[in-house]
Amino acid sequence: MEIRNILILAGKETRESLKNRWFVLYTVSFCVLAVLILSIAPGRSEIAGISGYGRTAASLINLVLLFVPLIALITGSISISGERENGTLQYLLSHPVTKAEVFVGKFLGILVPICFSISLGFGLAGIGVALRGGSGDAPEFVLTALLSGLLAASLLSVGLVVSVFSKRASKAIGVAVFLWLFFIVLGDLGIMGTAVAMDLGIRQVFALALLNPAEVFKIASVLVLSPRFEILGPVGVYAVRTFGREGVIFILLSVMALWTIIPFAYAFITFSILRREES
Amino acid sequence: MIEIKNVTKSFGKLKAVDSASFRVEKGEAVSLLGSNGAGKSTLIKCILGLLDYTGDITVGGLRVKERPKEAKSLIGYLPQEPLFYDMRTLDIVRFFARLRKADEGRPAEVLDKVGLAEHSSKYASELSGGMRQRLSFAIALLSEPMFLILDEPTSNLDAHARAEFLRLIKDYKENGKTVIFSSHRLDEVDYLADRAVLMKDGRVVMDEEPHALRRKLGLGTKMNIAVPDEYVTMAASALSSAGIIVHGKNGRGFLVEVKGGDSLHPLRELMSMDIPVLGFSVEEPTMENILEGAARDGN
Repeated sequence: MEIRNILILAGKETRESLKNRWFVLYTVSFCVLAVLILSIAPGRSEIAGISGYGRTAASLINLVLLFVPLIALITGSISISGERENGTLQYLLSHPVTKAEVFVGKFLGILVPICFSISLGFGLAGIGVALRGGSGDAPEFVLTALLSGLLAASLLSVGLVVSVFSKRASKAIGVAVFLWLFFIVLGDLGIMGTAVAMDLGIRQVFALALLNPAEVFKIASVLVLSPRFEILGPVGVYAVRTFGREGVIFILLSVMALWTIIPFAYAFITFSILRREES
Repeated sequence: MIEIKNVTKSFGKLKAVDSASFRVEKGEAVSLLGSNGAGKSTLIKCILGLLDYTGDITVGGLRVKERPKEAKSLIGYLPQEPLFYDMRTLDIVRFFARLRKADEGRPAEVLDKVGLAEHSSKYASELSGGMRQRLSFAIALLSEPMFLILDEPTSNLDAHARAEFLRLIKDYKENGKTVIFSSHRLDEVDYLADRAVLMKDGRVVMDEEPHALRRKLGLGTKMNIAVPDEYVTMAASALSSAGIIVHGKNGRGFLVEVKGGDSLHPLRELMSMDIPVLGFSVEEPTMENILEGAARDGN
């Protein structure tokens, strides 16, 4: 793999994303809502032990959970399938580039603009907090933004798995939207339902939560922001008491990293090694 | 040199390319001739390493299976239907120039060469079919490749754009470059190729110089010649005596068949006898005629 080629391909992908009207719409919506959340949040009070930057970051968690997985899954899912469908992938591969370079270039080229829009949303909100004289929890605020980037990377990897196996972009988008619903909307309900139906113990419920990257992001963000882990409910209390706060954060970060690495590796190997042909 | 040895490519039970073997020497222009589904495009994709195959392909001494990226860097490829990203023309060329490690000034140079310099700020979607083909040709020329592979380069072009495009390829060939192009038109083969490789059902059924191919397959060029009514009988008998096959009268003229590719022979005969020619049209053999000829020849 040539780093130079990866950077050229990533650069093209980034420029295309930044020109894409859906991506622009997503970024603008995310930023507007981030500022809106900040403006309607109460002044200097402390909620659940979080104030200033921390409280703003906590408010942004739900926004991140709604927007970031959706854009990461959709852009990831159409990245290869779209080019395969319109024939540009085969033309690109007729040039001196490898499929591995194309794959890594696409991953980076999509992740960078998503991280850019996350940074923009958090940045605007951060400026808002500073203008209102807020203080404290600034490192936690930055950490939450980084966790959002990790969430984007993990769901982008999942989106790429969808893309590698899809011949048509429309089908890939359908699967991506279903996965978004599954991870975001049905995630909590699924855990609760499974816990009740199968009479799961608290340990199993915690393990079940780790199977959903969005859930992992949510727990990790709350733990990063709040010293009062009780707000996570009995599962959070169990996890913190068993592994310690730092231990849980380490486990959650590791799980998010695995949610990035495993789908990425699976899609990479399938696309560049197992499916050598693009006929 | 490009060498294709016993290459077979199957899609399920269908053998799209079946034990194809031939070589293309440096500076040669070789046409892959065949009807749709003959295996021309599949073979080209195998040369580019886009498809797996059995057998062996070497490009400039590099085995495609072992060093596909290096082999591709020696090839400029023009697909049958050029497809581009939704970018400005110059940006598309710049993108591929960076991938092909071409000089910085090369994009503007190749766009100028193919006559697209004034369209460089247009989006690819705003270009006509002929312009898109030329854009694809410009990209293929970026790294001044040793080999140019063109997959039915004129299939989507009108007559004017086709003539212009063939001239561009001819110029490239005359600079001593190696060209492989697929086609189902014998006139293009005559114009550009040193050799024609005839493919049928994935197999190479003939590998000959174009005039030898015509001779072997008994292919003639048909010509409608219009002369004034009072000269029709005289002209027909004059041409028959000159050994030209006269198929029959039609309207103000007659249909003749010329073997061996010298299409001007009947016109010269008529002019030598001071018979005025009002007009003429040429009908090249169709792919069906060629394949019928190949079948007669035992292929």
